[in-house]
Amino acid sequence: MLIVLLISSVAVFYAIRLSGGDATAAALPGSATEEFREEFRARIGLDKPIYLQYFAYMGKILKGDPGHSITNNASLVEMLKEHGKNSLVLGGAAFALVFLIGVPLGVLASLRRNSWADHGIMSFSIAGMAIPNFWLALLAIWLFASTFRILPAAGCCSGKQLILPAIVLAFEGIALTVRMTRSAMIENQNNDFVRTLRAGGLSEWRVMGKHVLRNAMIPIISLAGLRIGQIVGYALIVEQIFSWPGIGQALVTAVLRRDYPVAQFFSLVLVVLVVLGNWLADTGYTLANPRLRRSR
Amino acid sequence: MKEEIQDNLIQIHDLRISIYSEGSYFDVVKGLSLSVCSNEILCLVGESGCGKSITALSVMGLLPTDVAQVTNGEILFRGQDLLKLSASDMRRLRSDEISMIFQDPITSLDPVFTIGSLLTEIIRVHRNVGSSEAENMAVDALEAAQLPNARQRLKSYPHELSGGMRQRVMIALATALNPAVLIADEPTTALDVTVQAQILERLRERQREQKMGMLLITHDLAVVAEVADRVAVMYAGEIVEEASVQTLFDKPQHPYTQGLLGAIPDITARRGSLHAIPGRVPPPQVPPPGCEFAPRCVHALEECWESRPLLEGSGEGKLRCFNPQPLIT
Repeated sequence: MLIVLLISSVAVFYAIRLSGGDATAAALPGSATEEFREEFRARIGLDKPIYLQYFAYMGKILKGDPGHSITNNASLVEMLKEHGKNSLVLGGAAFALVFLIGVPLGVLASLRRNSWADHGIMSFSIAGMAIPNFWLALLAIWLFASTFRILPAAGCCSGKQLILPAIVLAFEGIALTVRMTRSAMIENQNNDFVRTLRAGGLSEWRVMGKHVLRNAMIPIISLAGLRIGQIVGYALIVEQIFSWPGIGQALVTAVLRRDYPVAQFFSLVLVVLVVLGNWLADTGYTLANPRLRRSR
Repeated sequence: MKEEIQDNLIQIHDLRISIYSEGSYFDVVKGLSLSVCSNEILCLVGESGCGKSITALSVMGLLPTDVAQVTNGEILFRGQDLLKLSASDMRRLRSDEISMIFQDPITSLDPVFTIGSLLTEIIRVHRNVGSSEAENMAVDALEAAQLPNARQRLKSYPHELSGGMRQRVMIALATALNPAVLIADEPTTALDVTVQAQILERLRERQREQKMGMLLITHDLAVVAEVADRVAVMYAGEIVEEASVQTLFDKPQHPYTQGLLGAIPDITARRGSLHAIPGRVPPPQVPPPGCEFAPRCVHALEECWESRPLLEGSGEGKLRCFNPQPLIT
C-alpha cells in the first residue's frame, strides 16, 4: 500500500506540474514585470528541478505543513478541515445509501426472481448504471427543486440540502450493488449447504436472511472499497453541480485558477482516500470470508 | 397387528414423482412403496438416476418444487401424511424427528459459520434451551459422532476440517436431536475408502444406540453387505426386489439384482473381463410398455414386453418379475 501511495504521489505531482499554464499568471496581476515574476517563482520554489520540488514538497507534507493557497493565502490544513468535513458528510451519506438501499433491493429481487418486483428493480438498476450522474443531477434539480419545489437545489449543509446530492452520488453505486447482491444471492441459493440447513429445520427466513446473505456479502464487501473510490471520483462532479463546498469542489476551483498547492494537495488527498478504500476492501474481504482469515 | 403399525415409522404408498424438464413432465418415481421400521437399516440400492435421492428428498419435503413434484401417493410418518403437513409443521419435524445426511460433506456445510454456531442454531430452533446448554448438546452430538477434541472444534470453520471430519459433523447435525428416522443419501461416496468404513461403522452404532429407523441410500453393494438389515433394489423409479440382506445376497431372484451382484468384481478370479449388465436404463421420457428391465433382461418372456409385473410378496420378500430365476453360479 505504501508503494502504491508513493507512486501515485509522484504521478499526481508530475501531472499537475506538466499540466501547463503559469502559476504567476493566476497569482499576480497582468501588470507585474518579468523580474518580479521570476522572483515570485523562486520564492515558491518553482525555479528548481522538478524532482527537488517533489522531495521538498513531500518533506513538508510529512511534517504536516502542506503550505498555503497561492490565490488567497489560506492555510491548506484549514481548508482540508473545512472542505473535508463537508465531503465526509456527503460521501458518507452516499456510501451508506449504497448499501442501505442496494443490498435490501438486491435480496428482494433474488427472492422474488422473475416477478414484477424483480423486473422493476432490475430495470431501475440498468437505468442507474446507464444514466450519467451529471445528467441525473440536473434532472433531479429540475424535478425536485424547480418543478415540485420540495427540496433545495444547492447549498450546504442542512439535511434537506444533503438529500439530492447524496442520492445522485449514490445512484450508480446502488445500481451496481443491487445487481451484485441479486446475483450473489441467487448463486448461493443453489449451494448444497442450503439444503442441509433446510433439512435442519431452519425457516426460509433464517436460511436466506442469515446464511445465504452472509455468503453473498463476501463479494459485496470486497468491492465496497471500490465504491469509496467511485464516490470520491464522482464527488468532483456532484459537489460542483450542487455547490457543495467539499474537497471536490475546492479541487475543481483550484485547477481552474491554477492554484498549484491546493490542486496538488487535494488531488493527493483524493488519491490517498482511493488507495485507503482499496486497502479496506482487502481487509473487509478477509473479515467476511473465514476461508481467507486463517490460512494455516 | 398393533405392534406392526407402531413399528413402521415411515410408510410410503404408491409414491409418484414427476420432473419437469425441457417443456414436458415425466415420472421418475413410479408408484414406489416401502416402509422403514424403528431400529433397522433399510438400504435402497440402485444405479444413478433411478430415483433414490429424489425419493429421500420427498420424505424430507425438500423436493425442488420448481422442477419436481409428488403427483400421487402418501408418505406416512407414524401414520401422519407428511405430504399434507403445512410448511411450518414439516419444518418442526425436520432434524427433530426425521433427519438427513447428504452425499458431499465438502459443500454441505455453510462455509462462513463455525460448526459450533451451525449446531447450536439448529438445536435452538427446535429446543428451548440457552446458548451454553445448546453448546453442551452440540459437544455431546460431536462426541457421539466421534469427532476428536469436540469442544475445541466448535470454533472451527468447515474448511479447517477434513472430509471425514466434516461428515462426522454432518452426522452430529443430523443426530443431535435424537430423531426417529435418519435418511443417509450416499453418506460415504465422497470419502476415501478407509474413512468410509469408519463413518459407516459410526452411523450404524448411532442407529443402534438411538434405535433409529434408517434409510440408507447407496449404489455400493459393499456398503449394503456391511450395514443393511433389509434391502430394496430400485430400478427406473420402481422397487424390483425387496428382501432381508441375507436372502438378497444368497438367493437374489430378480434378473436385475442378479446382474448387480454379478457385477461385483471377484478378487479371487485371476483374469477375465468384468461382468456388466448389457444396455442402459430406459430414458424416463419414453418408458417401455412392459417391464422396465425387459430390454436388458436375458430371461425376458413375451409377456415381459407387453405388460408390467407387479411388486408381489409379503413381509420379508417382495419381487416384481414374471420370470424369476434361480441364481446360477
